[in-house]
Amino acid sequence: MTFDCKDLERALAVPELLPDARKHAETCDACRRQLWLWGEISSVAPGLREEWETPDLWPGIRRALAAQQKADRPRFGSRGGWRDWRLMAAIAALLVMGGAASLWKYARPAPAPAGPQDPDFLTEQTLKEVEQSEAAYRASIDKLARLAAPKLTAAENPVAVAAREKLLVLDSEIDNMRSTVSHNRFNAELQTELAALYRDKEDTLKEIVQRAQ
Amino acid sequence: MAAGRLTARGDADLIQASKRGDLSAFEEIYAAHAGRMKSIAYHMLADRADAEDAVQEAFLKICRAAPSIQFETGLAPWIYRILLNCCYDAGRKRQRQAEAPLAAEPPAIPGDVPLQIAIRHALGRIHTQYRMVFWLFEVEGFRHSEVAAILEIPEGTSKKWLFEAKRELKRLLTESRA
Repeated sequence: MTFDCKDLERALAVPELLPDARKHAETCDACRRQLWLWGEISSVAPGLREEWETPDLWPGIRRALAAQQKADRPRFGSRGGWRDWRLMAAIAALLVMGGAASLWKYARPAPAPAGPQDPDFLTEQTLKEVEQSEAAYRASIDKLARLAAPKLTAAENPVAVAAREKLLVLDSEIDNMRSTVSHNRFNAELQTELAALYRDKEDTLKEIVQRAQ
Repeated sequence: MAAGRLTARGDADLIQASKRGDLSAFEEIYAAHAGRMKSIAYHMLADRADAEDAVQEAFLKICRAAPSIQFETGLAPWIYRILLNCCYDAGRKRQRQAEAPLAAEPPAIPGDVPLQIAIRHALGRIHTQYRMVFWLFEVEGFRHSEVAAILEIPEGTSKKWLFEAKRELKRLLTESRA
C-alpha cells in the first residue's frame, strides 16, 4: 500500500500497519517524531510509578484490623462456636444472672421503680420504633436502588464502576451488620452503625441518580 | 504481572484464610500488593498521607467484606477495586471539605521539561477513564485482562481506552513541544 502521513493514526491502532509506517517515517520527519513519541510514552510510563518506604503502615493496619475483629461479635459456629470456653462462660454467667433476677422478682411483691438505663441499650418500646423505622428506611432505599439500577448497569465509566463496587461492599457490610444486630438487638451503638451504613448506601444511590440527571 | 504476583500461599488459600479473618493472610496480601496499592492511591489522591490512609481503609473493607464475597475474578482485582473506591471516596470527601473549589483546568504542559514530567502533566488533562487504564496498564504493569477485571469493563474496552489515552497524550505532548 501507499502509506501517507494521514495513515499514521490508523497504523498506531493496527499493529500490522506499523512496518509500513516505519518505512514511511524514514523519509518523513513529522511521522518519525510521532512514532518515536508513541513508543516513548510507553517506555517512560513505568518511571512514573511512585514508591516510598512506609515502615509504620502495616503495623497500623494490623492494629486496625485486630481492633475491627475484636469489635465484631462472636457468632455460633465460627472459630470454636459453642466449644469456645469464653462463650460458654459468658452464657453460664448470663444464666446465673437470669436466675438471680427471677428469684429477686418473685421474692418481692411490688416491682422496684426503673433506675437509670445504660444509654447504649434500648428499651423494648424504643427498639420496636427503631426496627419499624429501619424497615421503612430500608424499603425507601430499595425503591431508590430500583430507580438507580438501569443507570448503574448501563454505564461503563469508572464512576459507575466504582459506584457498583461500593454498593456491593455496602450491601455485604449491611448484611453482616444486620446479622450482628440480630444477635444483640438492644445495642444502640450497633443500631447506629447499621443506620450509618444505610445512609452511606442512600447517599451513593442519590449520587448515581443525580449524575444520571 | 502483579495481580498474579506470587505470595507464599496461593490465591485460593489466601481467600480461605482471609475469609476466616486470619491476619497473617492479610499480611501476605499486604506484602504482595501494598507497593502497587500505594502507587495507585498516590496517583489518584496526589498526597502520600492520603494514599496511605486509603490503603488502610481498603484493608479494613477487605477484611469486613471477605467472608461474604464470591471471588469469581480472583483476589487481586477485587482488592484493587476496593482500593479505587476508597480513593474515590477520599477524593470526594476532600472536595466537600475544600473551602474553595478545585481548579477546573489543569496547568498547561511545560514544553521544555523531560518527557516523564511532561507526561505526568499531560495525564492530568486527559479523560479520567483513559487515564486510569493508562496508569494500570502502562505504569503499574497490569495486563488488559486484569485491568478489565479491576474496572469491571470488557477487555476490548480496556484496549480501546488505552489507545485513546496514548493518542491524547501524544497530541498534547506534540502541541506542548511544537
